Amino acid sequence: MATVPGQLIWEMVKKNNSFLVKQFGRGTASLRFSKESNNLYNLNSYKHSGLANKKTVSIQAAGKDQAVVLATSKTKKQNKPAALFHKSVMKKEFRRMAKAVENQVEGNYYRPDLKKAALARLSAVHRSLKVAKSGVKKSKRQALKIRV
Amino acid sequence: MAAAARPLVSVQPLPASLNDMATDHVTTVALPDVMKASIRPDIVNFVHSNISKNSRQPYAVSKKAGHQTSAESWGTGRAVSRIPRVSGGGTHRAGQGAFGNMCRGGRMFAPTKTWRRWHRKVNVNQKRYAVVSAIAASSIPSLVMARGHRVESVPEMPLVISDSAESIEKTSTAIKVLKEIGAYPDAEKAKDSQAIRPGKGKMRNRRYISRKGPLIVYGTEGAKLVKAFRNIPGVDVANVERLNLLKLAPGGHLGRFVIWTKSAIEKLDSIYGSFEKCSEKKQGYVLPRSKMVNADLARIINSDEVQSVVKPIKKEIKRASLKKNPLKNLNVMLKLNPYAKTARRMALLAEAERVKSKKEKLDKKRKPVSKEELAAAKAAGKAWYKTMISDSDYTEFENFTKWLGVSQ
Repeated sequence: MATVPGQLIWEMVKKNNSFLVKQFGRGTASLRFSKESNNLYNLNSYKHSGLANKKTVSIQAAGKDQAVVLATSKTKKQNKPAALFHKSVMKKEFRRMAKAVENQVEGNYYRPDLKKAALARLSAVHRSLKVAKSGVKKSKRQALKIRV
Repeated sequence: MAAAARPLVSVQPLPASLNDMATDHVTTVALPDVMKASIRPDIVNFVHSNISKNSRQPYAVSKKAGHQTSAESWGTGRAVSRIPRVSGGGTHRAGQGAFGNMCRGGRMFAPTKTWRRWHRKVNVNQKRYAVVSAIAASSIPSLVMARGHRVESVPEMPLVISDSAESIEKTSTAIKVLKEIGAYPDAEKAKDSQAIRPGKGKMRNRRYISRKGPLIVYGTEGAKLVKAFRNIPGVDVANVERLNLLKLAPGGHLGRFVIWTKSAIEKLDSIYGSFEKCSEKKQGYVLPRSKMVNADLARIINSDEVQSVVKPIKKEIKRASLKKNPLKNLNVMLKLNPYAKTARRMALLAEAERVKSKKEKLDKKRKPVSKEELAAAKAAGKAWYKTMISDSDYTEFENFTKWLGVSQ
């Protein structure tokens, strides 16, 4: 289907979609987040949207600890959701993973405008995995609360 | 208007264990033109909100409510307000206000009537446009996902399954089929979402709510699959000939997850026609045309036709500079009048000269004159006088000898 893509879909989806989160801020000034998996900043905007773009990048935590899944969508297979993503699980040390992400996103001109976002998300996901592994640490300065 | 190339949609085969036609291999169907129609969420929203008013049942207050009294106002002079009060005596009710919307036991403001206009008429063409839009939207994975259906594991959109599905009789096989084609997560989502409705609807026969799952569209009348699929929570079934907008775009939102059978999708062409060919079933109906055939702006802008005519990008942006006064600021003056530099230099030099010479003159005057100079000045004065006398004609006259002095 000639997905009259991008612009049309974005116009339809930007105000209302099942991934939209309008929680923080006050009233109409609230921030609009988006829960799609292909959204690197989780912001509800055209550039970052996973729904409205043909080429998307997604970085998620994989099941096993320390492993991160990098998924880019293939442009030719827009109609086949099952075969849409090019997934690769990365379990290397951080610098290598960063290099890999950068190559995939910018090196082959896939989505150079998303490079920074991808790297930022990588580090965020990676850090959260580290924390998840070692448990949430209490700060050393925190005084023990005496519960009555 | 070009009917764009019709891509092929492959028909998902059902596993051999379920049917006799174990030999059906992957076949393909051409995408029906309906799926290329323009998608108009505004029309769909409008039509949906109007159509959903059509199954309403009227409600109203009893027309006698609040008026079953013979109340009369007591008038003025009795130190009470003037609303009609219930006549008679011997009960609490006596003397209470009646009839007003503000009174306890009175009738409401504007009692609701059964003859309110409950149903709405919608133009047939608009209704068809909306259905066509909804069908088109159901073939775009982004929109279906945006509506909230779990279609990540669906092999292809639009999802077409072979006709052997139409003869499924048991719900258990129906569920297996859904799992095979990747539609099960959506049905599962619907099943998990069953909950008790918040609010008074609970007490008004609308106790449970749940999400919507896939919509199965079949082609042949009386297909057995209706009975097999209808009990699965969230799943709806529909015949192609009678597609309902309320099912295709629930809540007025485009993009229901639709599962077509092969005969259903083949029928779509004859039911809705194409952009040029009239539909066979709907007299004189042609698919609506879109305002822009190619709405991919990015591609249009980057196309050769446009880029070859477009001016190059201005990388240097010239910004308005602050105006500086040439009379005060030499550099700005020079931009306007290069000669100003030499003129000013000349002026300065001349000024310096003047100052210098004036100073010299004054110095000279203030300096006491030396004797030689004084003598020289005096002698020069005398000599000049002498020349004046000799030059003049006065010497010829005797009368002037006294003035002129003796020596000549």
